[in-house]
Amino acid sequence: MIWLLRDFDLLSVILRAASLSLEALTLGGLIFLLLVAVPAGADRLIQTRIRRVAAWFALALVAVKAAGLAISSLELMSDSGMSFREVASAGYFIAGCAMAGAALVLFVLLRSRRRWVLAAASLAGLVLLCSSVALSHAASRMDSRVLLLVLTGLHHLGTAAWIGAMPYLLLGLRRSGADAEQAAKTMVRRFSTMAIVSVPVLVLAGVGMSWFYVGSWQGLYGTSYGAMLSAKIYLLLLALTLGGGNFLLVRRMERKPQPLLLQIRRFGELEIVLGFAAILAAASLTAQSPAADDMPQDKLTGHEIAQRMEWKWPSFRTPTVAQLVPPTPLSVAVPEVVFTGGVPNDANDRAWSEYNHHWAGLIVLAAGLFALLSRLPRQHWAAYWPLLFLGLSVFLILRADPECWPLGPRPFWASFTAPDVLEHRLYAALIAVFALFQCGVETGRLTWAKAKYFFPAMCMLGGALLLTHSHALGDMKAEMFAEMTHTPIALLGVTAGCGRWLELRLATAGLPGMGGEERRGRRIAAWVWPVCLMLIGLLLLDYRES
Amino acid sequence: MKKRLSYGMSMVALALLLMAPRLALAHAVLVSSTPEAHATVRGPEVTIHLKFNSRVDGVRSRIFLKLPNGQTQTEALDPQDAPDALRSHAKLQAGSYILLWQALSTDGHTTRGEIPFTVQ
Repeated sequence: MIWLLRDFDLLSVILRAASLSLEALTLGGLIFLLLVAVPAGADRLIQTRIRRVAAWFALALVAVKAAGLAISSLELMSDSGMSFREVASAGYFIAGCAMAGAALVLFVLLRSRRRWVLAAASLAGLVLLCSSVALSHAASRMDSRVLLLVLTGLHHLGTAAWIGAMPYLLLGLRRSGADAEQAAKTMVRRFSTMAIVSVPVLVLAGVGMSWFYVGSWQGLYGTSYGAMLSAKIYLLLLALTLGGGNFLLVRRMERKPQPLLLQIRRFGELEIVLGFAAILAAASLTAQSPAADDMPQDKLTGHEIAQRMEWKWPSFRTPTVAQLVPPTPLSVAVPEVVFTGGVPNDANDRAWSEYNHHWAGLIVLAAGLFALLSRLPRQHWAAYWPLLFLGLSVFLILRADPECWPLGPRPFWASFTAPDVLEHRLYAALIAVFALFQCGVETGRLTWAKAKYFFPAMCMLGGALLLTHSHALGDMKAEMFAEMTHTPIALLGVTAGCGRWLELRLATAGLPGMGGEERRGRRIAAWVWPVCLMLIGLLLLDYRES
Repeated sequence: MKKRLSYGMSMVALALLLMAPRLALAHAVLVSSTPEAHATVRGPEVTIHLKFNSRVDGVRSRIFLKLPNGQTQTEALDPQDAPDALRSHAKLQAGSYILLWQALSTDGHTTRGEIPFTVQ
């Protein structure tokens, strides 16, 4: 438990990310009710369902905030002998309590069917938004604090009205019948209008915040904060592309509403996933210092990046375990990370890590290539491509942490206390499960209809996990170089998952009214993910730490 | 209806799964310090001054000193002279020390660091 709270910060950051998402979903539900469902005349059943779902998200937010406050308070009290009274009077604690209280009020109000309740809920929503902003980067800035607080509030509001409200649109589109179809069309139109306002608000507020937090072009391309911000921008652009597609569909809806409503739902699903992946990146940003605050010597220059990204053929040579820095006992190594952030790697450590990445690259490149081949006639043998990932899983267990079992002296179970080891083993387990599942799907052995969604879900989940992966190398530039490879891989993983998901969902829908344009879109989606896999393989093959 | 709802929930579950964690590497970043890391200062009166990139809670942040004999003691913080700085005074004998700081930023993030220094 101690490492969870103090050394890894794992739980607190999970809770931070959950809090941001649940805030968007709670406020999104409220906004959707106020501006879309009620004015569109959605029937009572739909409105009740939307209220109920939003209320449960509000309750989940109460639980998440309570857990977050409990953890941060325990952490503060246990480290410094502070009393609970001292902690409870801290600004962050008061803001957290206000947020949890507002969410609780929303839970109660949203479960009521009376109309006036929505006006009271709006007030609670405003308190929720303001208290969340009080817990953001803006609250602790020295300069332009008020402006940054306003921009952050607008950014959160825009996110709630677009990403947070989108799941409720999908809920609203699930009813069938002539009346429901008319209400659905009105809801889609109203949501589209709301998005036309909320997306620019979100984007412009984000640009304004970036101006202050990034500070320079070098801050954008030469720092971890900038890399994560770029990842967020990429995810938002993908979501906006889908949103733009939906906008065009809305304009054609009068002609053939049913297939188009179905397509809007399919695109909407991905918009939600991409939007929440962007919120994940935002949660990562809140845990880092802004790029504008990084020391000039800690930022990468364009020349350094160009040198590192230049293609070099991998050597596939590895040092022996004996040549690596001898591992310290876990009882020393884990507490050390608290204040120092890790031990700097030497040349052999770097060569070991590069060798690992190169082999992983070769496996992923081969998997992408075979996945492409399996689409050609008489190449059914290539459908076994997922088994290559079993090899990757075993490779990861064996070599990712040479100081641990089976290569090093640290015992298998005890080494779980080291955060990096836990992450690597989690990846290895995910990859092994994926390999077996996907092999069953590709070869037709696994007949469970939903099994085919496992691959895109794993790609998106894996990509998102990689977005959160950090390298405590004890040197900011080395960490930044590692992230420069890992962030594009994470984004390609999310893109591959989205491509496969769209291909499957459009195919499953049948879509009797589907035109040639949409079929072409599905065919493109079908090629996107193998190509993404191959690009990931190439990036890993070019991976260098020196 | 039940099936539809469960599908909706699975989408939300996936979205929530995507919100996985990232290490909270730094938030209130130490911009400058007195003494500087690996510096040698004249004793026994030593002023400790830490300047951060953002507002820090001067009441709930902490400074510890790891003494030459290996023991760790907590140093009392002076009232803040700026919202982004922590200050303290210590009487130290000659020897090697490690200053361990723990800062609570206004937005609720805790960050830590260490500054080794020597007293003449």
